[in-house]
Amino acid sequence: MSNQAELDKLVRSEYSAGFTTSVESDTLPPGLNEGVIRFISEKKGEPDWVLEWRLAAYKKWLEMKTPTWAHIHHPPIDFNEVSYYSAPRSMADKPQSLDEVDPELLRTYEKLGIPLHEQEMLAGVAVDAVFDSVSVATTFRSKLKESGVIFCPLSEAVHEYPELIKKYLGSVVPQGDNYYAALNSAVFSDGSFVYIPKGVRCPMELSTYFRINEAKTGQFERTLIIADEGSHVSYLEGCTAPQRDENQLHAAVVELIALPGATIKYSTVQNWYPGDAEGRGGIYNFVTKRGVCHDNAKISWTQVETGSAITWKYPSVILRGDNSIGEFYSVALTRNRQQADTGTKMIHLGKNTKSTIISKGISAGRSENAYRGLVRISPRAENARNFTQCDSLLIGDQCGAHTFPYIESRNPSATLEHEATTSKVSDDQLFLCRQRGIDPEKAVSMIVNGFCKEVFKELPMEFAVEAGKLLEVSLEGSVG
Amino acid sequence: MMLPDTLKEQALAGAALLDKELQEQAKQQSPHASNGLSAVRDAGRVALAEQVFPDKKVEQWKYTSLLALQNGHLKALADKTSSTVSAPDFGGVTLTIINGRLPALLPEIDGVTFSQEAVDQSAQAESVFSHYNAATLRAALTIKVAKGTHVAEPLHLIIISESDSPASAAVRLHIEAADNSTFTVIEHYVGSGPTLCSSTTSLYAGANSNVQHYRLQSETPESLHIGELSIHQQRDSRVASYQLMQANTLRRNNVRVWMNESGADLVMRGVFIARNKTHVDNQICIEHAAPHCTSDQIFKGIAGESGKAVFNGRIHIHPGAKGSDAKLSNKNLLLSNGAEIDSKPELEIYNDDVKCAHGTTVGQMDSQQQFYLQSRGISAEAAKRMLGVGFINELLMALPNERVAEWARDWLSASL
Repeated sequence: MSNQAELDKLVRSEYSAGFTTSVESDTLPPGLNEGVIRFISEKKGEPDWVLEWRLAAYKKWLEMKTPTWAHIHHPPIDFNEVSYYSAPRSMADKPQSLDEVDPELLRTYEKLGIPLHEQEMLAGVAVDAVFDSVSVATTFRSKLKESGVIFCPLSEAVHEYPELIKKYLGSVVPQGDNYYAALNSAVFSDGSFVYIPKGVRCPMELSTYFRINEAKTGQFERTLIIADEGSHVSYLEGCTAPQRDENQLHAAVVELIALPGATIKYSTVQNWYPGDAEGRGGIYNFVTKRGVCHDNAKISWTQVETGSAITWKYPSVILRGDNSIGEFYSVALTRNRQQADTGTKMIHLGKNTKSTIISKGISAGRSENAYRGLVRISPRAENARNFTQCDSLLIGDQCGAHTFPYIESRNPSATLEHEATTSKVSDDQLFLCRQRGIDPEKAVSMIVNGFCKEVFKELPMEFAVEAGKLLEVSLEGSVG
Repeated sequence: MMLPDTLKEQALAGAALLDKELQEQAKQQSPHASNGLSAVRDAGRVALAEQVFPDKKVEQWKYTSLLALQNGHLKALADKTSSTVSAPDFGGVTLTIINGRLPALLPEIDGVTFSQEAVDQSAQAESVFSHYNAATLRAALTIKVAKGTHVAEPLHLIIISESDSPASAAVRLHIEAADNSTFTVIEHYVGSGPTLCSSTTSLYAGANSNVQHYRLQSETPESLHIGELSIHQQRDSRVASYQLMQANTLRRNNVRVWMNESGADLVMRGVFIARNKTHVDNQICIEHAAPHCTSDQIFKGIAGESGKAVFNGRIHIHPGAKGSDAKLSNKNLLLSNGAEIDSKPELEIYNDDVKCAHGTTVGQMDSQQQFYLQSRGISAEAAKRMLGVGFINELLMALPNERVAEWARDWLSASL
């Protein structure tokens, strides 16, 4: 019985990134119409073609219906209740260096464990810090420039590298791809833009930290990463938001382009505010992430999802080129009344393409955790290979764990394997640990960490440590 | 007009026409011929009018198109009393249903009652086709096995659909095996011509009963079959269901098993083969609604030459169904370019104290094995067939009824 008490305690732990930053903001009143889109575009001083692109997306969005196929339940979202642009007032006059940035903003990131002063940072990680709708600072830009790497907010890239943006924006996730991607295309605010030139191995990890601060706002960032032939980049993404009673919307789009021979590794630790124990508040996280692999290229998605009231997210890889590789490693933890419907799509088009999917779902409390995946082998994808493993761990008898894998094969030389298991933290395992003097909380955390090990080992070192801790904190109190 | 609307119109017209014909027949015959069927048909037509035929946007019909139905299949087959189609003999008692019509004399087995009672199955309707089935029934068959009865010999139901032009026949079977009974039933669907067989079968396994169920579908490739099977298990009942099928123009099976009381045990085995532009779609759902039930499913599929095989296996563990143990394995062989296999094993689990696992593979014939056989003078063709038979033989060998196993091996290997 004491085990149960410990588990419960672990599940009920608090959200540590739930504070708010009090800065004066320019926030658009809630509502969505063409005027709002024109305002955002003007605020960012965008060229006309971007505005037209946005408006075209808005038109498509108006004709689309909210998708209902996911295993999630929420009251209908009133898109006119959301504010689509919010920026700290101090950012209006575009600070030229970190010294000019409002110290309150810098303190926010420090509190979250992401110091933006370069000397204080872990050498080897460049950060783009996005606060509501704007990018606050991007570190190590000059150093990156030395090797030709471009790392800047998308709003700047539109001006400075219009030919790249024109060529690639929307090339992987078109404007009308799905409901939330269309919404994002219409109102996207800041995000990161990365370009790695031919044959360059990016000298440091790139990272973006997303923070939602203002009440009643949504965040709609858009990230575009282009890895030119033979290049290599590792990109990290983190996110948090204050604790509020309302549901805030986050609808992002991420596009990856891995040109021949390039490798992109994209890691996410998602820790948006998950709502309280009764399911009040929390972020609605509707994200479209997709990458295209050309010949011999590789895209690897790794994600640790612990936050958000609702997670709706399917990082996908289109294996267009021959010999390309797609990977997806995921840990999704839900507790209290969180709902996650997440997974991946691997579309095999080229010959000798390979994909690996490892998904670990942990659900506790009254949460719902679903894996939804698609592996499609097109008739031309000779010798395609896929391996999928989906494991679920249930903690408590009121949660749900689900698996919805779609497997479509149209080529006789392809080999596909899928397996899924469901288990719980067994009394035997707990007993064994406790017998050796390990307290129950630690024991559960060890078991869960062991369960997730295959995914954690794919994360960059700093992230792996953070993810491990996050899981520990999130699970605090869920063990008995 | 859009396909779903066209189909609905045809289905309603077909059902109305049949109903008129049967009512006139009933007038001529003595009134005792009434067995409540007319009411079932009326209810079916009402439900049908309210329903929408699915298109590919409906999740459950994502991989199966109903386009083949628009050639006029949705009208009743002509009434027939004899048929040229033959079926193998598996021993035991046989009962032949031709184009939805029951024989004049129903068989007699000790402890088993046969009747023409039409049991209302609308509560278990899986799709619009359940209502189409109800609306176009010529007859219905209810089989009740009394408490504690042990029937040694199998009951062999031969269900024939025969016609030269597109049309459909509805078959409705209701089987109740009461507490502590033992019973074996073989549903064997055969036929000729471009017929649509619309079948619904419900099987109730009482407490501690032991039911063996075979569903053999060996109709010709030009036929169509849309069938529904529901199995309801009481406390400690044991059901083994063997489903062997050859794909045809359109084959769709909706299968749902309700494990309503604790201790129920289910074994399900299936083989499906799709060759030469044929289509087979199995949608299986196991509802673990009570604690401590076990289910074990193995399905093997083969697709070649633009054949398409779809498999959806769902395991649903309800809240409170603790101690559930559910397994599902779906292994597939994809033989050639142009063929397609779509498999979706699903788990939906609302309890932590369970053991659930599923596995799916899609692969090809092992080229080394093929080489081995060819190097010993076996032709490529024969080697492929041997390996194909080897792939499914594991399941065929485990069939408890040897006569069925033997016949199935010949039948399935001929289709490879």
